[in-house]
Amino acid sequence: MTTQARHPHLLKLTDPPIILGHRCTRCRRVAFPPDPYGCEKCGSQHDDLEELDLEAQGTVRAVATVHRHHRASPPTPFTVAVIELVGGPVIKAIVAGGEVRVGVAVTGVLVEDVEDTEGTVMVDLQFQVVT
Amino acid sequence: MLADRPVYVVGIGLHPYQRRSDTTYVALGVTAVRSALRDAEIAWPDVEAAYTGTALLGMGSSRVMLSRLGATGIPMTQVENASASGSSAVAQACLEVAAGRSDVVLALGVDKPRGGLGAAPGQAGIDNLEGGAVVPFTHFALLASEYMHLHGVTAEQVARVALKNHRNGASNQYAQRQKVRTLEEILAEPISGAMTRLQCCPVGEGAAAVVIASEDGIRRHNLDRSRAIRVVASVTRTEGLYDEGVGIDAALTAETGAAAFGEAGIESSDIDVLEVHDAFAIEELLYAEALGLCAPGEAAALVESGEFDIGGRCALSPSGGLLAMGHPIGPTGTGQIAEVVRQLRHEAGSRQQPNARTGLAHMVGIGAVCVVHVLRKD
Repeated sequence: MTTQARHPHLLKLTDPPIILGHRCTRCRRVAFPPDPYGCEKCGSQHDDLEELDLEAQGTVRAVATVHRHHRASPPTPFTVAVIELVGGPVIKAIVAGGEVRVGVAVTGVLVEDVEDTEGTVMVDLQFQVVT
Repeated sequence: MLADRPVYVVGIGLHPYQRRSDTTYVALGVTAVRSALRDAEIAWPDVEAAYTGTALLGMGSSRVMLSRLGATGIPMTQVENASASGSSAVAQACLEVAAGRSDVVLALGVDKPRGGLGAAPGQAGIDNLEGGAVVPFTHFALLASEYMHLHGVTAEQVARVALKNHRNGASNQYAQRQKVRTLEEILAEPISGAMTRLQCCPVGEGAAAVVIASEDGIRRHNLDRSRAIRVVASVTRTEGLYDEGVGIDAALTAETGAAAFGEAGIESSDIDVLEVHDAFAIEELLYAEALGLCAPGEAAALVESGEFDIGGRCALSPSGGLLAMGHPIGPTGTGQIAEVVRQLRHEAGSRQQPNARTGLAHMVGIGAVCVVHVLRKD
């Protein structure tokens, strides 16, 4: 059985997990997700964008519990939050468990999906409320 | 350009918006166009160019439909801007007439639903952490959560947007949803966050057509000047770079609206009727504020007090909006122009906003793009 990040270019399976963004070396703009094409602020090319580690810590700015989904996974109901990371970027992520409200602090947790037919387990990043 | 060479809507026509059926897109489109030509009292051979707004039909739809009116060989082009495709078809038609290349141009919007939207942004090879868990209704449910928290607005207050729009749609023979609803019905069936089924627009099909003409066109074809409604602004903008976490849709709407008001030489308080992209109830509040109709956080109270009802300060979504009229995509933006024209002609019957003289139509589309038109009865 092998474990791997579903999106290895977005996530480091470290403890604590690290989110991968980019910083433009020309205009200094920090962004998530890292762009494979260019900087949305100044147009610099991919070569001028450096990988940047972002802490998986932030504050919830919005919450929605989803009751209808067109795929089997994740099973409904599940909760999505807008999270302002301490490093600046604002992302959307699934928040597992806990009393999720606007303003609470959340921290990233690695969640394993079920093993597939080839013995691979995909790992995703979700968030949970800091207690 | 619209100031130099005036552009008018001289005819409108629709095929009702409805659930997916066996009606072909050709039947939908031809119905709307024949209706618009009849309304304009103009013959098909007098139309010099055509733009068809469609997001889902696939290549080459215009001539298949329009040749059924007579194969006149005029230039035809399909236009796609996601949800704003029909608005962009109108924008292109206005541009062509304002530029002096044609005196009479048709703008048509047509679409039929198909499985999966296959939108380009999702195919750009850029992933995110939530792995497809955030679809449009959740994007807007999250905006609703933020708005409600920031302004102390309740889910019931947001739902009153849908209460108003379903009530308006019930009087609109072209609307997909023609049923007055109670607040209890609207609050039932949660989809995502505060967004319930009746606070989300339906999936459907339909068609809408408008005939655009110059003063030369009106004169040459002896069209009824008293029913011609002038297009005084046509602005398209795309999403800029906003500060982290700033609502894209509202920020883009504010920029586009400001440019449109500038082009039209008006202020938001001059708007008598307003059709916006209310695919989800929360959007009407966001866009009313972004367009400057009221201060941030005030829109919910104004919906509740009836200020945005037909007969109130400014009629918001008198057609029923995307929530009740529907959102078949291609037709939607063109259909909004038809509604605003109907209102400014004072031909909207029981949905008439009294003394309507200036109207605004607004759509956004993924990408993101925003298209705003301002119309005025001179």
